[in-house]
Amino acid sequence: MNGWNLSSDLAAYLPVLMVCVMAIVFAAINIVASLLLGPKAEGAVKGMSYESGMDPIGTTHKRFNVRFYILAMTFLLFDIEIIFLYPWALAFTKLEPGSAEAGLFLARIGVFVGTSVIAYVYAWKKGVFRFD
Amino acid sequence: MQALIPETGGIAQLITNAVTIFVVIHVILGGCAYAIMLERKLSAWMQDRIGPNRVGPKGLLQPIADGLKFLFKEDYRPKNTDGALFTLAPALIIIPAIIGFVIIPWAGVLDFSQLPFGLGATLGLDGVQVKITGAAVNIGVIYLVAVASLGVYGVGLGGWASGSKFSFLGGLRASAQMISYEIPMGVSLLCVVLLAGSLDPYAIVLAQQDGMWNLLQQPLAAIIFYTCLLAESNRAPFDLAEAENELVGGYHTEYSSMRFAMFFLAEYFHMITGSALFCVLFLGGFSLNPFGAGPDLPLVGGPLLILAQFGILAGKIFLVVSLGMAIRWTLPRFRYDQLMRLAWEGMIPASVLVLTATALMVYWGRTDLMWLASIACVVVIYAVRPLLPKQPNANQRIRIIGSRFSPVTEGEAAPRHPLALNESAVPDPAQGPISMH
Repeated sequence: MNGWNLSSDLAAYLPVLMVCVMAIVFAAINIVASLLLGPKAEGAVKGMSYESGMDPIGTTHKRFNVRFYILAMTFLLFDIEIIFLYPWALAFTKLEPGSAEAGLFLARIGVFVGTSVIAYVYAWKKGVFRFD
Repeated sequence: MQALIPETGGIAQLITNAVTIFVVIHVILGGCAYAIMLERKLSAWMQDRIGPNRVGPKGLLQPIADGLKFLFKEDYRPKNTDGALFTLAPALIIIPAIIGFVIIPWAGVLDFSQLPFGLGATLGLDGVQVKITGAAVNIGVIYLVAVASLGVYGVGLGGWASGSKFSFLGGLRASAQMISYEIPMGVSLLCVVLLAGSLDPYAIVLAQQDGMWNLLQQPLAAIIFYTCLLAESNRAPFDLAEAENELVGGYHTEYSSMRFAMFFLAEYFHMITGSALFCVLFLGGFSLNPFGAGPDLPLVGGPLLILAQFGILAGKIFLVVSLGMAIRWTLPRFRYDQLMRLAWEGMIPASVLVLTATALMVYWGRTDLMWLASIACVVVIYAVRPLLPKQPNANQRIRIIGSRFSPVTEGEAAPRHPLALNESAVPDPAQGPISMH
C-alpha cells in the first residue's frame, strides 16, 4: 500500500470520494438516458420561454433588485462568523467549567459576536431585512 | 465521553463503509420514490380524497410508472436557454443532495467476534470493531451542513440559465431564502456541538445515549433547526420559489423529462437526509430512551443489535418526514417579506440567544439544567418582542374599501392607486368609492 495509511484521518474520506463518483455517474446517466430515450420534435412556438402564454418581452438577464446583493453580503458576514465559532466551541468545551481560562474564552467570543451584533442592528435599522 | 467510542479504522472499516453506502443509497432512492407516493396518499387522506390507486394493487406501483414516464418524455431545451448551464444545473442540485448522507451513523458499532457461526474468527477479524456508517469522518456534522448548502448553486444556475423571467425570479428567491435560513441552522447546530463537545456524529449520539435527548435539553434549538430544514429544502410553507400563483413553477419552469425529475428527486433526498440529521442531532439517533436515567441499547454489539438500531433510526426518520408532509398540507404559504423577516428578524436573534444560554451553561458546568435555560430563553423572547420597533405591514398601507386595516371612510373618494397608469384609472369622485366586491 505504498505510503497509504488506512487508519489515518484522510483515509476516512475515501468513501466520500466513492459516493461523489456514484452521484456524478447517477446524474450523468439520468441526463443522457432521457436525451436518448425521449421523442424529439421542434416547433416555432415551442422554443419560446414559457411566460404564462404571453410573448416574452426583452431579455431576462437584466438588472434585478439590489436587495439581493445586500442580503448576500450580510449573509457572508454572518456565515463566516459562524465558521469561526465552531473551533471555538470545540476548544471551549474542553476547558474546566468555571475556570479563569474558560471565562477568558467566553469573554473573547462575546466581544467577537458583539461586533457582529452591532452590524446586525445597523443592518436592521437600514432596512436590509425588509422585502416589502 | 469520546473515549467510549471504540477506535476503528483500517481495511475492515473501509469495506464496511462501502457496503453501508451501497445498501443505504438504494434504501434512500427507493424511499424517495415511495416518499412521493406517501405524500400523495397523505395529502389525499387529509383532503378527503382517494389519491393514486390505479397502477398496481392500491396504486403501489405508481412511483415506478412515474419514473418510467419521466424517462420516456422529451427532454426539451427552449431556444432562450444557456446550453451548458441548463444541463449542468440539475446535476449540480442532485450531486450535493446525494453525497450528504454518508456521515449519518445508521447504527452502532459492529463487533466481528459476535457474528454467528464464528464467522469473525474464520475471517481472522476477531475483536475488530467497525462503525456502521458511510464514512467515519470526525467532522461529520460540518461536512453534511457544508454539502447541503452547495445545493444553492443548482437552484441559482437553473433559474439563471432557463432564460425565463419566472425561472429567474424563482432562482433568485430560492437562493436568498436558502442562504438566509443557513445562518440560524448553523447557530442551532452549534448549540448541539457545545453540549456534545464534538463534531463527530457518533459522539453526539453517544452524548444523548448517556444523557437526555437534545430535543428535551434544547427544544428551542430543535424547533429552529427543523424550521430551517423545511426552508432549506424549499418545502411548504416555505416553497416561495415555486409559488404557482406567482411564478408558475419557479426555477424549474422550463425543465422537462429527467432533468425536471432530478430537481424533484433532490428535494426528497434532501428531506430524508435532513430528517436523518435531525434525528441524529436531536432525537438521539439510534438511542431508545429519551431520558438520561434508565436502560438503553448498548453501543457495541452483534448483527441483531445493528439491525434493531437501524430499524429504530429508520422509524424516527419516517416520523420526521411524515411530520414535514403533514405541515406541508396544513399550513398556507408565507409571503416573501414575511419569510425573510422570519429568518432575519426572528430566528437569527432567537438562535443567538439560545447559543448564549448554552455557552453560559457550559461555562457554569450545569449542562444538565439546559432544559431550564431553554425555557428561560422562551420567556426572554416573549418579554423582548413587544419592545422591538413596530413596522407597518405591507398590506395595510393602501386604503381599500372593505379592507380590515385601512378602510376608506364612507363618502370619501377612493385614493388613487400608485400603479394606476393614466387618469382614466382614477375613479370619478362624484360616483363615490368603488367597492372591492
